[in-house]
Amino acid sequence: MTGRAATLLVALPLILSSLSAARADAVRGARVFQRCYACHSVVPGEDKLPGPNLRCLLGRRAGAGPGFEFSPALVEAGAARGLVWTRATLDRFLADPEGVVPGTTMAMPGLPDPADRRDLLDFLETAGSCRPG
Amino acid sequence: MRQFLLGFVAVLLALPSAATAEVAVQAYPLPNGGGSPHDVAVGADGIVWYTAQRSGQLGRLDPATGKVELVPLGAGAAPHGVIIGPDGAPWVTEGGTNAIVRVDPRTREVKRWPLPAERGYVNLNTATFDKRGRVWFTGQNGIYGRLDPTTGVVQVWDAPRGRGPYGITATPDGAVYYASLAGSHIARVDPETGAATVIEPPTRDQGARRVWSDSKGQIWVSEWNAGNVSRYDPKTGEWRTWKLPGERPRVYAVYVDDQDKVWLSDWGANAMVRFDPESEKFEAFPSDRRGANVRQIYGRSREVWAPESGAVRLVVYRMK
Repeated sequence: MTGRAATLLVALPLILSSLSAARADAVRGARVFQRCYACHSVVPGEDKLPGPNLRCLLGRRAGAGPGFEFSPALVEAGAARGLVWTRATLDRFLADPEGVVPGTTMAMPGLPDPADRRDLLDFLETAGSCRPG
Repeated sequence: MRQFLLGFVAVLLALPSAATAEVAVQAYPLPNGGGSPHDVAVGADGIVWYTAQRSGQLGRLDPATGKVELVPLGAGAAPHGVIIGPDGAPWVTEGGTNAIVRVDPRTREVKRWPLPAERGYVNLNTATFDKRGRVWFTGQNGIYGRLDPTTGVVQVWDAPRGRGPYGITATPDGAVYYASLAGSHIARVDPETGAATVIEPPTRDQGARRVWSDSKGQIWVSEWNAGNVSRYDPKTGEWRTWKLPGERPRVYAVYVDDQDKVWLSDWGANAMVRFDPESEKFEAFPSDRRGANVRQIYGRSREVWAPESGAVRLVVYRMK
């Protein structure tokens, strides 16, 4: 057994445990997503809702994306202020949408609990991933 | 119960740019601690209630003095809609905690009727009363329901096409209709059986957001995606549709006043718009604030109230 394989073997329970935790967070995030469900989807092709489809959201510029007419406030935040959706920027936006993007038309008043936001972001990273399958 | 009497005296601001010879416009700024107003309701006594969704409170404005009081609705509250019941009290669709809430207008006591726990989070939106004093409500995650305040029984039904139920209204003859924003249709609800029947507007994917009945029981619909106002006549099944003026109208709210004039909020024009069904003409009242974002309209005789969520103020249009 190589040293590398031995290291992996030792670390495997920890990796599996953290993967399991991530899945659990995503499952909890799916429940948090019920706060968003009326207007958003992560299902490919489900794009006639009041809000944009959130699949492939991470890494995308704010106010940009196919098949949706974004509010002028969100377009400006992306184009003029360079707002890009990362876990950190989404965390701040989800905590206080109107505070981060004044004039956003998204009516959701915010998720005050950091754990809810973390779980929701885990859900968006998994269920809303761009990766096929 | 704790109450916050802010003693906030508004500077009453006239808006001559939007006023006309027949309509006087007045704005009431709201305290920062109350957050942006989402929905508004005015009672026969002239007192105005509004949902401060972001701060979990119900606001009370006395237009005679400009004084604003904020009533906290409890931990986790994020109220969406407010209407005045036949008892003169404000009734709230409390979206944060999944409950219908009544605030006593005299004592400010907050009474709650939670939705059945097995339903999960439904994203409560708007309510209306039927002729028997029961509250009908919508949940955007795909439900509509009924609360009988005399028995406390809350019933919930799955909407026929899933997510989307948004605005709701009752007609003078007791029928209940709701609009489905995500589903782009309206539905008629039998107030006794609870069964809902889908009715398709003529414009595809129009985004029917809110509904209001006129005095004849015709249903007026604000079409968010299409920028239209449309009218459904339940007696004949006929539709009429009118496109609002401007380059890109986005029609959020609709309300029919006591003269059967139709009031609309157009986010594309940043304006309130009055439509006369007889002359088929529109009259615009542009806001003097950028991104006023009026999400709902409500009124009483000779008064129409609009909460400017983006400008954190309530605006009244008084017919002279």
